[in-house]
Amino acid sequence: MNSTKSLGEELSRVCLETATRENATYADFRLVNTISEVVGIINENPASEELNDLGAGMRVLYKDSGWGFADTDEVNPENIRDTTGKALALARGATKIGSKVSFVKEPVHVEDWVSPKKKDPLEVSTDTKYGLLQDATGRMKEEGIVARRGQIFSTRIEKYFANSEGSKIFQDLTQTGASLIVAAKGPSGIQRRSIQQYVLGGYELLDELDLPGQAPTLTKEALALTQAEGCPEGKSDVILSADQVGLQVHESCGHPIELDRVLGYEANFAGRSFLTPDQLGKLQYGSKHVNIVMDATLTHGHGLGTFAYDDEGVQAQRKYAVKNGKFVGYLMSRGTASHVGENRSNGCMRADTYKLPIIRMTNVSLEPGDWDYNELIEDTRDGILMDTNYGWSIDQKRYNFQFNCEKGYRIKNGSLGEMIRGPGYSGITPEFWNACDAVGNQKSWVLWGTPNCGKGQPQQVMGTGHGAAPSRFRNIRTFGAS
Amino acid sequence: MSQSSTQKQIPLTERGHRVFDVVRKFGKGAQEIEATLTSTTGEFLRFGNNELGQSQFTKGRTLSVRLASEKKQARTTTGRLEESFIQKAVEKAVAQLKTAPEDPDYLPMLGHQKYRTINRYHERTVQESAETKAGHVGYAIELARKNNLLASGILGTSVDEVFMINTAGLEADYKGTGGYFSLTMDADNGNQTGYANSTFADISELDAKQVSETTLERARLNKAQSEITPGKFDVVIDPNAWSEMLFFFIVSASTGFSPDFGVRQYREGRSYLSGRMDEKILGDNVTLVDDVYHPLQTGPAFDGEGYPKSNLTLVENGLLKGLASSRISAHRYDGVNPTGHELPLPNPLGEAPTNLVIQGKGGTKTTDELVGELDKGLLLTRLWYIREVEPRTKTLTGMTRDGTFLVENGKIKRPVKNLRFNQSLLELFNNIDGFTEPVRNTSFTGTTMLQPGILARDFNFTSVSPF
Repeated sequence: MNSTKSLGEELSRVCLETATRENATYADFRLVNTISEVVGIINENPASEELNDLGAGMRVLYKDSGWGFADTDEVNPENIRDTTGKALALARGATKIGSKVSFVKEPVHVEDWVSPKKKDPLEVSTDTKYGLLQDATGRMKEEGIVARRGQIFSTRIEKYFANSEGSKIFQDLTQTGASLIVAAKGPSGIQRRSIQQYVLGGYELLDELDLPGQAPTLTKEALALTQAEGCPEGKSDVILSADQVGLQVHESCGHPIELDRVLGYEANFAGRSFLTPDQLGKLQYGSKHVNIVMDATLTHGHGLGTFAYDDEGVQAQRKYAVKNGKFVGYLMSRGTASHVGENRSNGCMRADTYKLPIIRMTNVSLEPGDWDYNELIEDTRDGILMDTNYGWSIDQKRYNFQFNCEKGYRIKNGSLGEMIRGPGYSGITPEFWNACDAVGNQKSWVLWGTPNCGKGQPQQVMGTGHGAAPSRFRNIRTFGAS
Repeated sequence: MSQSSTQKQIPLTERGHRVFDVVRKFGKGAQEIEATLTSTTGEFLRFGNNELGQSQFTKGRTLSVRLASEKKQARTTTGRLEESFIQKAVEKAVAQLKTAPEDPDYLPMLGHQKYRTINRYHERTVQESAETKAGHVGYAIELARKNNLLASGILGTSVDEVFMINTAGLEADYKGTGGYFSLTMDADNGNQTGYANSTFADISELDAKQVSETTLERARLNKAQSEITPGKFDVVIDPNAWSEMLFFFIVSASTGFSPDFGVRQYREGRSYLSGRMDEKILGDNVTLVDDVYHPLQTGPAFDGEGYPKSNLTLVENGLLKGLASSRISAHRYDGVNPTGHELPLPNPLGEAPTNLVIQGKGGTKTTDELVGELDKGLLLTRLWYIREVEPRTKTLTGMTRDGTFLVENGKIKRPVKNLRFNQSLLELFNNIDGFTEPVRNTSFTGTTMLQPGILARDFNFTSVSPF
């Protein structure tokens, strides 16, 4: 038997028995073992690190009104009993300043689940990874290039979950990621080109990405950007690359549909949301071409938001957030679902390692439309193509956003024209998505991984997935970032 | 209950020596070995919607091992300190060492060093009971309730410890306490909102009542905002409002969020400062130093390889005068001395100042006094979601939140809707007319900065939010 699972079984009994004896209304226990490795090169300097992090988190509900959470990395029965006691003490204290918690039902699940992979990335030697990165960054050596950076990320997360209702779930998830960045210096300052991708899967990602094969093109483009014209300021039709659409979905749809922020629990840091419950089923969030799903199932793809069960034991599901442009659903937890009249959570409680689970995005994706990429360009008389994100910012209710990209091209009479540097665009979320008149089809649809979404206090980092295809938006405010 | 443990605690240095013996036993294949043991415990009372909904106790330790032989290095880190897990971590590093590429900048590990004493550990922070802390939170929630507002925020305390040891004879250790109280009060889905925060090393420094009352006062003022036309405005920025923005002084996105104020980045042309030494980059009234020994600063007196940190003047009266350095840069470049600003090795990013102190000339005032000097402009109480737009001018974009106020003739006239800005940080620091005393704040990456509030001219706002 897997050692994380057997240790989890032993320690969960200690935690759940302690909590039950102390009259907790509900308790859950998670043991999480994370092994992650980063291998990287900047210019000629290599750096690698492997991190193994094992710990347990315990959540206790007392008298239906006070939550307490405690975690520890000392995973022995005596300390688990002690740490459960700390969670109970915090829960008892919280009852004095809490209100009745409504915790929706979830069937009891007993299952083991291993995510699919062809090649275990942690079994691939660092030597092989360094070799690949040296090859890729070596091909970027050119006059005018000031930084060449490549990284390969390999992660395995084993989690054992058990709760006082009888669920016992073991999951073994493998994730792989890679990035390549080249920076050139010229008349317009430093210009960057990059690629990155992160998936639930194995080292086969590196074969698909072909970093050495992409390196010369990225280098050429970075150098060309130092000589390129800036982006015109004004209003224009804009086509965004698939990865940029993915980040737009993340920031302007994924975050505002998090029900905890809608209810005010994140008001001090992450903020609130313009998508209030009175808008549910009514607000025309986007045009009829805009369909956005929240989908953690494997059927959707190998995303960083793909799993079998969330971190409070709720089964992975697929639900619409936006259907034919209308706002129809939230990312929820068992403690928040009833606030919007739902009797089951859609499984969005996730935790950074063994920390406190909070509502996070799973895979929040724009469904493909029916446009070929070439048709999108050919159908645009006068516009700007913007590719690969550089910077992003959005207000705390997720209305007012501004993004800028690494490279762009003018589109004239259905053809790509000259390259432009630092193209940027801005807008107000519902106006922007209502200006969407074309979404690329399945051929250009990619499930992108975002590995570094920050939320919570103390802050937690989470990987999320965003499927997207190149899409067109009419009459958008544009500007030159550099 | 308090953050202290009922179990007997072995001092980190004693535990570190025991762990290092185990590391050496299994790391015999390496010529040099460095071990760093860290420990963090924290207690966080997190509340939202007038409920104490996410109380957390957290405890974690890590052992990080760096092995080196023949100019090759490898690092592994583990959260488990039992012998079998240390063995596994060290053996993995030994295996990686055999196949790692040579690092052209590798230097032998540092021997014994002397460090200045700094005392950043306050027993009161550790011993303060959860009940007392819950009392601070309860006061804020009660105040919000009475005023038909919702309180949300966090009161956190933590203890951080580090012990570093290597086979060349180096030993360094650090123990410090910290904490913060961050509070928002709002109503009408955040259409009415106020914010304040405070950080401390010793919890007796915390005036939780004042934080609550400042938040309430701002929330009362900040309702029924009117829209103003974006453009250039003179501004007063509250000292607690902008740690995220100031962080971009030392980090650029252009090469993948790498530090800027280091010798290696400067010489390789990767920094926005490259080629600008002795040039005027900020106003005459601005001096930027890195000073880990400042009484309000946090963290150890040594860098990522154990080298003692020096005080460093980065910008003096607006002129770029210094850069963070390390042994690697001193070895690579003529005329460069180490300043103790290396990150944990191997580090291809370059050096970073991590204890920034921003000093303003010309006397210090309170935020209210700066507002009193503003003929017409805006008071900004919190800036949010700052990102780099352009690296050379350090043009940044971001939003105001939780209280943006129109000021006329030195008095707050009315609240206005939130605004987006696109503003060069360098230009802003050439346009400052007045400063407050610096306060301690922590950026979203955990870097502690001592930052003043300012009165500045021509802050560039580009659009407005609907709320």
